[in-house]
Amino acid sequence: MEIRAHMVSAGKAEGKAVVYNGPFAFLGDLSPVTGKICMPRHRLEGQSLVNKVFVFTTGKGSSGCDFAAWAAKKNGRAPAAIICLESEPVLSGAVIATGIPAVDRPEKNVLELIKTGDYVRVDANAGIIEIKGK
Amino acid sequence: MLLTDEEKRMLDGEYCPGIQRSMDLLVKLGESFDAEKLVPISYGHIGYDFCPEPFWDKMTEGVPQTPHRVTTHPSYSPEIWKKCGLPLADNWIGEHERKLKRFKELGWLRTETCAEYLLGIFPRKGDIVPMGGSCMQVANNSLFGAKVDRMGILVSLAAAVCGRTPLMGLLIPENRYASHLVELDDLDVSDWTMSEYHCLGYYIGDQVPGFKPVAVNGLPPNLPFDFARALVISMPTSGAVTLAHIVGTTPEASTLEAAQGKRKLENVIKVGKREMSETWERLNVWDDDTVEHVAFGCPHSTIDEIGRIVTLLEGKKVKTTLLIGASTPVEALARRQGWADIIEKAGGIFLPACPSIANPFTRADIAGEKQAKSAATNSARSAHYIASVGGIKVFFGTEEECVNAAISGKWKGEMPKWK
Repeated sequence: MEIRAHMVSAGKAEGKAVVYNGPFAFLGDLSPVTGKICMPRHRLEGQSLVNKVFVFTTGKGSSGCDFAAWAAKKNGRAPAAIICLESEPVLSGAVIATGIPAVDRPEKNVLELIKTGDYVRVDANAGIIEIKGK
Repeated sequence: MLLTDEEKRMLDGEYCPGIQRSMDLLVKLGESFDAEKLVPISYGHIGYDFCPEPFWDKMTEGVPQTPHRVTTHPSYSPEIWKKCGLPLADNWIGEHERKLKRFKELGWLRTETCAEYLLGIFPRKGDIVPMGGSCMQVANNSLFGAKVDRMGILVSLAAAVCGRTPLMGLLIPENRYASHLVELDDLDVSDWTMSEYHCLGYYIGDQVPGFKPVAVNGLPPNLPFDFARALVISMPTSGAVTLAHIVGTTPEASTLEAAQGKRKLENVIKVGKREMSETWERLNVWDDDTVEHVAFGCPHSTIDEIGRIVTLLEGKKVKTTLLIGASTPVEALARRQGWADIIEKAGGIFLPACPSIANPFTRADIAGEKQAKSAATNSARSAHYIASVGGIKVFFGTEEECVNAAISGKWKGEMPKWK
């Protein structure tokens, strides 16, 4: 299945999806050392995002999310690509500055159509999300 | 995006690689939000120590002194960390010194605080001020009526280098009206301290999707500065709120009608005793009552906050490490007042650094085996980041409870009796 979306940050990537129906902050939610969700009591606490296609609602939190994204990327612990419903400037700046492919404003509800574990391809330049299933 | 001839030259690399790369980042960001053009800035605020060194070097490569003022967020203080006996302080000296040298060459100001409005450096209503630091953004937007869009630390450096920022988001007047309204539901705030306002802001931030402007209705008019600031700065911690109107207090919200304009409300958020209790509970992440560190000054302490801490601490000795994050000028005032002496005699220290994300006592990569395993704070923002970035236990409570914890080394904080 293909879903059209809007490019936030250029590039193409693919991987297994992790779907989270909530907002995300690179700083605080994600450990740049392990690539796992580290926020205490987070619903995904302990879940790795390394080389995953991370699907969530929008960005949140500190303006330091961009340097946290940079650190995760440098350590090889960043998500492969990002899909969100509607980006915001800190998240967009973070993925543009660190070169993580990202799209937002998908034409269909990705939080329902994509399941955690699905294999997903993101072509941000073309604005296309491809769901390949398990 | 429409660029002027000068901006095209900047983007084409006619000046230097730093300006070219910074311009490229601003243009890409602006285009992803359909910004029509770039606009000149009144001044900029960055965070040099928070920028990864390769990024800092690339964005400032060849950049001459800027004609506009640029200030900075709290920096690292590895020399002071060393004096505090923190084993890994040396690891941080080289990078800090290299970046600081470049920062000074650029002619930028070493304000080194997340609360530089306390130094007399604050925007006038309508000034366009790109800033790193979500607490700076929300405070300058909300409390002074500046035009500050939400942006990251890296993008704020690009804006400071170029003296421009994309015309988008909260720079556009109609986007500044509240789309979300917060109503207090049977909550008596008459005996609230700063911590209760932190807690309220943390709850609100979590309830508002994206960075939609919020109006908070039902608080006493002309709320004291410390309370208003605590309320707004907690919101972009649990969420992304970058402009919060406090009806009857902040400059764009003399009335609810003024804050809302003709914008249609998307949601009304009711906050009552249950929401406050649950949030207070959520900010406390601990099992046993041993407190090893106490952090004040997130955001950097006002002189009034320092005065209140001094009253509670005078003549006592602390068992924990006690850090007060404050800018150097505010610390100087506290020193002149005789207050710094009282805090230092009790065993506390001042640091012009971030007591939360970059708190040296709670970070394993600075304190090594001396890392505190638990910390108490009166700030929701601090509690959030000490728990997640430091990865240690956190106690959240009032100023008085935190000072008592520093003196006894034990947490005796209690849930406020909501009225």
